[in-house]
Amino acid sequence: MRDLDMSQYLGIFLDEAEEQLQQLDEAIVKLEQTPEDLDLLNTIFRAAHTLKGSSASMGFNHLATLTHRMESVLDALRQGKLAVSREIIDILLASLDRLRVLKDSVASGNGDEGEVGDVVGRLEAVLSGGSAAKPQVKDSSTAALTLDDVEQNVVRAAQVKGFHVYEIRVQLEEGCQMKSARAYLVFNNLKDVGEVIKSVPHTQELEAEKFDDTFTLAFVSREDADTLANIVKSISEIKAVAIKPIILEEDRTEAAAAPVAGPEGGPAARGNGQPAEHHTSQTVRVDVQRLENLMNLVGELVIDRTRLAEVGNGLKALLDNEDLLETLEEVSLHIGRITSDLQEEIMKARMFPIDQVFNRFPRMVRDLARKAGKEIDFIVEGRETELDRTVIEEIGDPLIHLLRNAIDHGIEEPAARLQAGKARYGTVRLRAFHQENQIVITVEDDGAGMDPEKIKSKAVASGLLSREAAARLGLREALDLIFLPGLSTSDKITDVSGRGVGMDIVRNHIEKINGTIDIRTTPGKGTCFTIKLPLTLAINRSLLVQVGGRVYAFPLANVVEIIDVTPAAIQHVHRQQVVVVRGRVLPLIYLGQALGLKGAPPAADNYAVVIVGLAEKQIGFIVDSLIGEQEIVIKSLGNFIGKIPGLAGATIMGDGSVALILDVRSLVGHLGVEANRELAS
Amino acid sequence: MATETTVEVQLVVFQLAGETYGVDINHVQEIIRMQSITQIPRTPAFIEGVINLRGRIIPVIDLHKRFDLPTAEITNNTRIMVVELGRVTVGMIVDSVSEVLRLPATSIEPPPPMISGIDVAYLKGVGKWEERLIILLDLDRVLQESEQRQLQQEIAAGVETR
Repeated sequence: MRDLDMSQYLGIFLDEAEEQLQQLDEAIVKLEQTPEDLDLLNTIFRAAHTLKGSSASMGFNHLATLTHRMESVLDALRQGKLAVSREIIDILLASLDRLRVLKDSVASGNGDEGEVGDVVGRLEAVLSGGSAAKPQVKDSSTAALTLDDVEQNVVRAAQVKGFHVYEIRVQLEEGCQMKSARAYLVFNNLKDVGEVIKSVPHTQELEAEKFDDTFTLAFVSREDADTLANIVKSISEIKAVAIKPIILEEDRTEAAAAPVAGPEGGPAARGNGQPAEHHTSQTVRVDVQRLENLMNLVGELVIDRTRLAEVGNGLKALLDNEDLLETLEEVSLHIGRITSDLQEEIMKARMFPIDQVFNRFPRMVRDLARKAGKEIDFIVEGRETELDRTVIEEIGDPLIHLLRNAIDHGIEEPAARLQAGKARYGTVRLRAFHQENQIVITVEDDGAGMDPEKIKSKAVASGLLSREAAARLGLREALDLIFLPGLSTSDKITDVSGRGVGMDIVRNHIEKINGTIDIRTTPGKGTCFTIKLPLTLAINRSLLVQVGGRVYAFPLANVVEIIDVTPAAIQHVHRQQVVVVRGRVLPLIYLGQALGLKGAPPAADNYAVVIVGLAEKQIGFIVDSLIGEQEIVIKSLGNFIGKIPGLAGATIMGDGSVALILDVRSLVGHLGVEANRELAS
Repeated sequence: MATETTVEVQLVVFQLAGETYGVDINHVQEIIRMQSITQIPRTPAFIEGVINLRGRIIPVIDLHKRFDLPTAEITNNTRIMVVELGRVTVGMIVDSVSEVLRLPATSIEPPPPMISGIDVAYLKGVGKWEERLIILLDLDRVLQESEQRQLQQEIAAGVETR
C-alpha cells in the first residue's frame, strides 16, 4: 500500500532531491575555496538536513542514513569542531555522488538500493578523528550579523567620517503581543539619531512577525552606546538590549553568524529546501508541452497580426475616410501591441537562467583538474543570463567538451606554468552575456594556446589534408581545422580528451541550434572560444528575398551584410564566380542555382547580394530582389517531405502565402560538394 | 452503420485522367480548391510543393505525376484533397471530386493485373457501382512509398557527400 500512497509524491521528491544535490554540489565545491564562509556552511547544512528529512519521510533509509552522517560532519564544521580540509571535501563529494546513485536508483523504480556503509564509515572516521577543534563561532546569539561587501563599504565610509557603527541586539519580552509594532518603534526611535544599515532578520520579516524574540541591527550614529541603549529601553516590552561596536578589518568572525537554523533543526526542519532569508518568487511547475502549445498559438497570432495590418492597408487603398476603417486600424494596432507583449511574455516563460547548465561545472572542473594534476581557478560569470529552454538543453554538451579541452590541453601543469613565468594557478573563465539579440558564451583559458602550424601538420599527418592544401591555409582557416572530425591536437590521449572526437561534435551541436563558434588563440597566452546563440528557436528575425518569383527567408543571424555588385565587378576563379569586397575574395552564387532551381538572375545593372557568414566562411548569394526584414515563425515541412538540403522549414507570410526558410549551413555545405564536383570535371 | 449483414465502405469519389477513383472517407480530412503552391527545391517531381492550410504547412502531391499519367490542365474543377494517414497529412491534386458513395464491401474485388496504367501495387481493389468501375487507391502505399523514395534519395545524397 505504501507504494500507492507515496507514488504521487515521488516525482516531487525526486525533483527536490535533485535540486538539493545540485545545491550541495555547488556549495561544497565553493566551500573548498572559502572554508571560513559560515553562511555557506549553513546553506549546505540546511540542504542536507532537508534531504534527510524528505528521504526519511519517503521511507528511503539508505538515503536518510547517509545524509544524516553528512549532516553530523557538517554540523561539526559549523560548530568549529572540525576544520574544512581537502580530505573532508573529498569525502563530502564522494557522499554526494553516492546519494546521486541512490537517487537514480529510486528514479528507476528500484528504491534506494545501494551500499552506503563504506561512505558512512569514512564520514564517521572524520567525526571521531576530528579533534582539531577550530573555534569559529564566538557568539551564540540566535540572530547575528554578517555584512556583505556593500555593507562593509558603508561601514567603512561611515567610520571614516567619524560615525560609530554598532551592532544592536534587541530582545523582546517573551509573550510580547505585537512584536512587529515593537520592532517598528525601535526602528522609528533610532531613526532620529542615525541610520539602520542592516537588520537581521530582514525588515520585511520583522513586519510580518517572522522572528522569535530577537533581532539585530547594524546602526550608524554619532551617539554613544549608552545613549542608544537608553533610547531602545524607553520602549516597553523590551527585555534586553546589547550594543557593541562593529569592528571591521577583514575579521569577519567578529560578527560571525550563528546558524539561522539552530543546531537542533529549527526552520530548516520545515522540509522545503529554500533558505528562509532568500526572497523566493512564487513559481508554478508547468508541463513543457503546454508552453510549446502556447508558443505555437502565439506564433499564429504573430502571423495574423501581420495579415490584419495588410488587410487594413488594402482596405485603405480601396476606401477613403471611413470611420469603420479608422476603427479597424485602431483595433489592428492594439492587437498588434498585445500580440507583441504576449509573445514576449511567453518567450520569457520559456527562458531559464543558464545557471541550470553552469551549476554543475565547478564540480566537474575541480574533479578534472585534480585528475589531470593541474591547479585551476574556475571563474563563472553571467549565471543569471537567460536562454530559451530548447537552447539550454543543447548547450551543455558542447560546453563540457570545451571546458575539458581547456583543462586538459589548454592549462599547463603547475611546473610548466611557473617555468613560463605564469601564475601557478591556471584560470578558466566561463562567461555568458547578452549582446543585441544573441547570447554570447565564452570559454577562456590562460593556458598554452594553440599553434596553427602544429594543427596543420597534425591534419596532414592524419591524412585529412594534403601538404599543399595545408600550406595555402591562412591562420584562421588553420584553426578551423580543429573542427574536422578525427583531428586532435593533443599529443597524448588521456581519459579526458584527445581522442579526436569532440570539436566537430561541438560545432555540430552549436550549429544545430543556429549558433556559431569562433576561436581566438595566442600561443603561450591562452585560448578563447566564443559561442553565439539565438535567444530562441521558434521565432526568428529574417531577411526576406525574392528569387524566381518566390520568397525565401535568410535567418538574420547568418546575414553579415547586403551589398550591390555590378556585373562588371564579378570575376571568375576556377569557374567560380567571385567578387572582391574590401580586399576579401568572396565566392558568389545565384540563390536559385544554389537551391537547384532553373534560371539565372535577371539582367540588371546591379545585383543585390546577401553575404552570409558561417563560422569563418562567407558566401555571397545573388538574389532577384530584397523584400525586407520580418519576424517569422518557423514551421517544419513535415515528415512527408522530410529534410531538404538548404531548407530549414517554411513560414507563413502576411498574405497567407508560404515562404521557405533557408538553412544557410546546409546550403553552404551543399555548395561545397557541387563546387568540388565542378572542379573535378 | 455496419448493420446486420452488409458491411459498407464509404468512399470519396474523384476523377483522375479520365478514370474514376475512390478513397476511404475516413482518411479524407477536407477538399479545397486549387490554390497557389510554394514549390520546394530538390524534391521529387510529383511533390508540387506546400500550401498554407489555416496555419499548417501541408505538402501537396500531384497524382498525375505520381502515377505517370498524362498531366491535366488545372480547371475550375481541380481540387486538392487533403488526406490524413497516420502521422502524415498530404494534399493530393485531382481533376475533380464528384461524390461520396456507400459501397457494400462485397462488391469490391481485387484489382485486375492491368488497369489504366497505374501499378496494381497502389490499388486496393475495384468497386462496382451500378454500371461504373471505381478504382480504390491504397493510400498507405501511395504515401508510404513516396516517403521511402525520399529516404532513398537522402541516403544517396549522403553517400555523395562522403
